[in-house]
Amino acid sequence: MKTITLTLKKKSQIALEFDELIPDEVFDWEKDDFENYQVPVGNKRFPLTDYFDLEVEGTAEGPEEVKMILEGDCGRVKYIGCKMSAGEIIVNGDADLHCGAEMTGGKITVNGDAESYAGREMKGGELEIMGSTREFCGCSYIGDWRGMSGGKITLHGNAGKQLGECLSGGEIYVKGNCDILAGIHMTKGFIQIDGDVTRWPGGQMKNGNILINGKLGILLEGFVFDKIVKDPEIDGKSFSGKYIKYTGDIALNGKGGLYLNAEKNRELL
Amino acid sequence: MEYILKNGIVYDPANNIAGEKKDVMFKDGKIVDNVSSDAKVLDVTDKIVMPAGIDPHAHVAGPKLVVGRIYRPEDSRKGVTTKTDVCRSESGFSIPSCPATGYRYSRMGYGTVTEAAMPPLEAKHTHEEIMAIPNVDVTPLPLFGNNWFVLQWAKEGKIEEIAAFISSWLKITKGYGIKIVNPCGTEAWGWGGNVHGIDDPAPYFDVTAREVLRALSQANEMLGLPHSIHVHPNDLGHPGNFPTTINTLECVKDIEKSSGMRDQTIHLTHAQFHSYAGTSWRDVESGATEVADYINKNKHVTCDVGQITLDETTTMTADGPMEFDLHQLNGLKWANKDIELETGSGIVPFIYSGKAPVSSFQWAVGLELFLLIKDPWQVCLTTDHPNAGPFIRYPRIISWLMSSERRQEMMDNLEVRVWSYKRTSLGSLDRDYDFNEIATITRAAPAKIYGYQDRGELTPGYNADIAVYDLNPNDIDPIKEPAAIEKAFGNAMYTIKDGQILVKDGEVVKVVPSHTLWTNVNGFEEQEKAVMEQVMPTFNRFYTVKFENYKVHDHFTPYPIVTEVQAGK
Repeated sequence: MKTITLTLKKKSQIALEFDELIPDEVFDWEKDDFENYQVPVGNKRFPLTDYFDLEVEGTAEGPEEVKMILEGDCGRVKYIGCKMSAGEIIVNGDADLHCGAEMTGGKITVNGDAESYAGREMKGGELEIMGSTREFCGCSYIGDWRGMSGGKITLHGNAGKQLGECLSGGEIYVKGNCDILAGIHMTKGFIQIDGDVTRWPGGQMKNGNILINGKLGILLEGFVFDKIVKDPEIDGKSFSGKYIKYTGDIALNGKGGLYLNAEKNRELL
Repeated sequence: MEYILKNGIVYDPANNIAGEKKDVMFKDGKIVDNVSSDAKVLDVTDKIVMPAGIDPHAHVAGPKLVVGRIYRPEDSRKGVTTKTDVCRSESGFSIPSCPATGYRYSRMGYGTVTEAAMPPLEAKHTHEEIMAIPNVDVTPLPLFGNNWFVLQWAKEGKIEEIAAFISSWLKITKGYGIKIVNPCGTEAWGWGGNVHGIDDPAPYFDVTAREVLRALSQANEMLGLPHSIHVHPNDLGHPGNFPTTINTLECVKDIEKSSGMRDQTIHLTHAQFHSYAGTSWRDVESGATEVADYINKNKHVTCDVGQITLDETTTMTADGPMEFDLHQLNGLKWANKDIELETGSGIVPFIYSGKAPVSSFQWAVGLELFLLIKDPWQVCLTTDHPNAGPFIRYPRIISWLMSSERRQEMMDNLEVRVWSYKRTSLGSLDRDYDFNEIATITRAAPAKIYGYQDRGELTPGYNADIAVYDLNPNDIDPIKEPAAIEKAFGNAMYTIKDGQILVKDGEVVKVVPSHTLWTNVNGFEEQEKAVMEQVMPTFNRFYTVKFENYKVHDHFTPYPIVTEVQAGK
């Protein structure tokens, strides 16, 4: 087991890019290697040691034996754990854009907020954000129609706009509230939101399921009432309580399921 | 500066040199017979030496490339490189950035490319983009097949007016020749329709593709343009379209050629998309045998193939209705544009996959055409970049053409699906191209087809556009080593353009501005003047731009190469 601790000593105004510092790349790095490493900052590179104090303990045979701990406010560190396939990263602070993007395995925990694009195009593994995130969490790359396809994102705080855009697999669990257009263009997978949703979940969705335990502001016209379900089972998960089930988005002949907590959304009954 | 490329094995089909060990010399940008003893020696012992490549049909500059890049950022993120001392950073796979387009052609040993669809209204923009493409000369072909003036005069049989219009519009747009895309079909798309076959009239104008094709071909020969009409026929990509293709070729057969620079009177582009039999995608069969037979029997036709490369790419064409069909088929995002009185266009991303029966079938039809057309001077290597695949796959296609074993292997181990041999005759074709035939379809034939008098051969006086590939033809067995062929043709040992070494060992070492090739017709000034008087009222009434802002001024072509043509000679 190898523990790599990076403690922030100077916050850069221009974001640092960390996609090269993932367990897959650094599992066999010694302390020297980190000290000699130049991190991309904008269109240049600077020594990692300009920004972080380093500590490396133990050895690892592969990325799965690596635990990276980022101490401090990493609100200007982009691409944390981007494309990682194994191992663990813990951020004790905020994370900047694209945290956990394209990851295929392993685990990332952010003990703070994450900026937009967290878990973009995720294929596997686990991303847990103790705070909130902003727009396009678990989405596709801009322009692409193939979004997150596997793994799990857990958000303890709130989500921004277009959560799980183009979702085609995997699971997103938001314990807080969520802004507009969760699950837009989704074709598969599952989104659970425990808090309130402003409006329009599931716009243009073709398939998959969205479950909302809070109150929904405005429902899209493309969703038609299906039935009232009690204690539904969705994707092998059981939920207790009464839910109003809608099917949509009929604009695209969609077969997606939208479950709204009946108690909280009484006026829709 | 004098140079001598020493001891290379030269393939120069235009001069009937097929694998001869000899020196190639050049001085001040031109090929020469001999050089002084001061000449710099480049040792290329036992390496393949060819004229630089010429791409006769691609989409590399113009508004639809820009729309493609804007609406496909997910394509731009592929192929990203960091800048070097010589090159800017690159981006894009199927729609690379302008500099990347130049570098990538250069790395493959290419020196010239045709931008095959320039809407006259967007010509200024096309030229701006050509200015941003380095290292490879660009020949833009303006679109005329759905132009209102042409449709009207074709209906009335006024060939001289059309000729004068084209002569004038080549000057206005700085274009090289006549491109025709889905004649009457794109105009019909303005009414939400399409035409099927060459005798289906366009709405309002009530003129058929046959009439338009014949009129434009006659006008082309009246002017004696260096290139023939360049035709993307009707019914692209529709099962059962091969009769339309053959009718298109047949309908201009009797029109007499007036230019001595070329052999053909019609160039059929991306023939692969036009060689399908059957009635639907369920019962589709290959029509390549029929199309190839026709081409084998008729010397007035040349073609390029538009080979499927089995990649995720971006389709973009002036064939607006076809792009809508494609969007209906694959459900992916669609861009559409109407170009006022001239044409239209559409863009849709497309994934050609060896796992899909239809893509496998299309892949096989393209290869069938290559293998069934007997005379390599009648067929050129293209992918209709980016429609059937990006141009960076040319080396891979070369490896397929040179190795029947590789093709068989792909069919055997299911890299392509069974439709590739059950719906086509590819499984029974064991022809293997040799290096001389490859040099013909990638250089000599396109140069001849375009009537180029300064490139495509290693004749003294011609431009020193030369490619050297790190292959010893006496050593390598292309049938057994397709990967080595692909690697060598993708990474030129030297690419020399106008006597300057631009690529060495697969790396771009020098960046130069590209030239724009266009045709200036002389001796038709009176007719042009008369026709402009007819055009201007309609122009002023319907165009959204003023004529003063329409013309491509000289500063849009800072490095022009003008082919001067005497009308009718």
